[in-house]
Amino acid sequence: MTCESALALIPLYHYGELTPEREDWLEAHLHECGSCSQAMDRQRALTRALDRRELQAPPLLVEDCRADLMAAIQGGARAPSHGPWTLFLEALGATFAGLGRMRQPLAAAALVGLGFFGARLTGSKAATAGNAVQPAYTTVRSISTTGSGRVEIAVDDTTRRVVSGGLDDPGIQQLVLAGSREDNPAVRVESVDLLKGRAASGEVRDALVNALAHDANPAVRMKALEGLKALAGDAQVRQVLAQALIKDDNDVIRMQAVDLLVAQRDDSMVGVLQNLVQHEDNHYVRLKVEKALKDMNASVGTF
Amino acid sequence: MPQDAAGTVGARMNPQVDSLIRAAQRGDQDAFEQLVRVYDQSVLRLAMNLLRSPEDARDVYQEAFLRVYRNLHAFRFDCSFHTWLYRIVTNICLDQLRKRKVRKEEASVVETSDGPVDRMDLFEEEHAAADPERVTWNRQLGSRIESALSGLTPRERMVFELRHYQGLRLRAIGDILGTTEEAAKNCLFRATQKMRGVLGDLV
Repeated sequence: MTCESALALIPLYHYGELTPEREDWLEAHLHECGSCSQAMDRQRALTRALDRRELQAPPLLVEDCRADLMAAIQGGARAPSHGPWTLFLEALGATFAGLGRMRQPLAAAALVGLGFFGARLTGSKAATAGNAVQPAYTTVRSISTTGSGRVEIAVDDTTRRVVSGGLDDPGIQQLVLAGSREDNPAVRVESVDLLKGRAASGEVRDALVNALAHDANPAVRMKALEGLKALAGDAQVRQVLAQALIKDDNDVIRMQAVDLLVAQRDDSMVGVLQNLVQHEDNHYVRLKVEKALKDMNASVGTF
Repeated sequence: MPQDAAGTVGARMNPQVDSLIRAAQRGDQDAFEQLVRVYDQSVLRLAMNLLRSPEDARDVYQEAFLRVYRNLHAFRFDCSFHTWLYRIVTNICLDQLRKRKVRKEEASVVETSDGPVDRMDLFEEEHAAADPERVTWNRQLGSRIESALSGLTPRERMVFELRHYQGLRLRAIGDILGTTEEAAKNCLFRATQKMRGVLGDLV
């Protein structure tokens, strides 16, 4: 290693952002090179000087900011430049600007619009707005302005109904299964959470397998993984667990997946585990895999 | 919850935060307020350190959390809330830093009989019974550091603040700023090089 490349690595070393191999190289060089070692000392001195400059937010400022924010949200008078009406217009502007992409039900838009007014407005106007919005999901299809400055908005309304019943009810279970495929991740999390205790049913198991393998949201995948724990001996479930172990970018999911996979000896997993141990960054997962391979008398490396 | 918990990996998987978000998405204002309290001190600290002005930090706070309030319905849990929030905060701060660059403003530096001094250092000194020599030295160092930091591009400055003062990993910083870990790494490297260049004889 040359001094030039060592100097380039010093800031990243200082912030703990080097790979272990590069760290080893640099430490060996610093041990031998006086001038680079002095450069490291200067980096530490710079850090100390910068640390002295750090400011903390004064508690009174924090309290003031919180009060201003909540006043602005609730329509108070403390933030005249961001009064509730301006905010409402801005919120509408933001909503309209995103119409091309937006397929959110108006329940979401209501959070933007009515949220500012809900706590304050009373009387017939508020009631009208509430009645117009609450019982329906509304999608805005088009907006145009007329010559007189009025706005014409075409909306599709879908009425909402509430269904209740136990999870043993096949109708309810079908709705919860449909919920596990909804766009809204909050609905998917709740649905998969309800389904996870019923993995004995083939349809539920398929939904959990699908959620673990494909859901974009880690909280949903985590719930699905919990639901599949009881089926960790099943070949198809083990395939999905192995896939999660290799591909899932969430450390906690990989840690749980490896625990389930190595809990029982399975020689068909040797190849997957050997491959994984070469690439895995997570220390816990790597240790688990190495131990499982040793327990199976398999080599930790590949040939 | 500890102030810095918002920036840690643990907080990103915090089910309590997730349920606050969901409740706030349903219109629960108490939940929104609690959600703000989890993150607001670290947001304000970031803005204070970047902009060195309580007034500007206050504006960033207000603007950032109002944007969160207006757009929370669109948060789809496809990244951590911390990352999502910090994208908003860093965008606002970067805008402020860029405006200052255009106006050639150094909001935090004021002229004194000892030369240019960081206004926030004067603010701190009011509360400290330090000896005069040390005060002078600290002022000089403070203003040199300010000048070193003002020589960074807004993006270098942001990467440096997030890594040095907020303790975020470069990978997370890349996510927040919509760039790669490698680009964030290069920014951090350039920032420290420039600062060492300006402060070389003092540190």
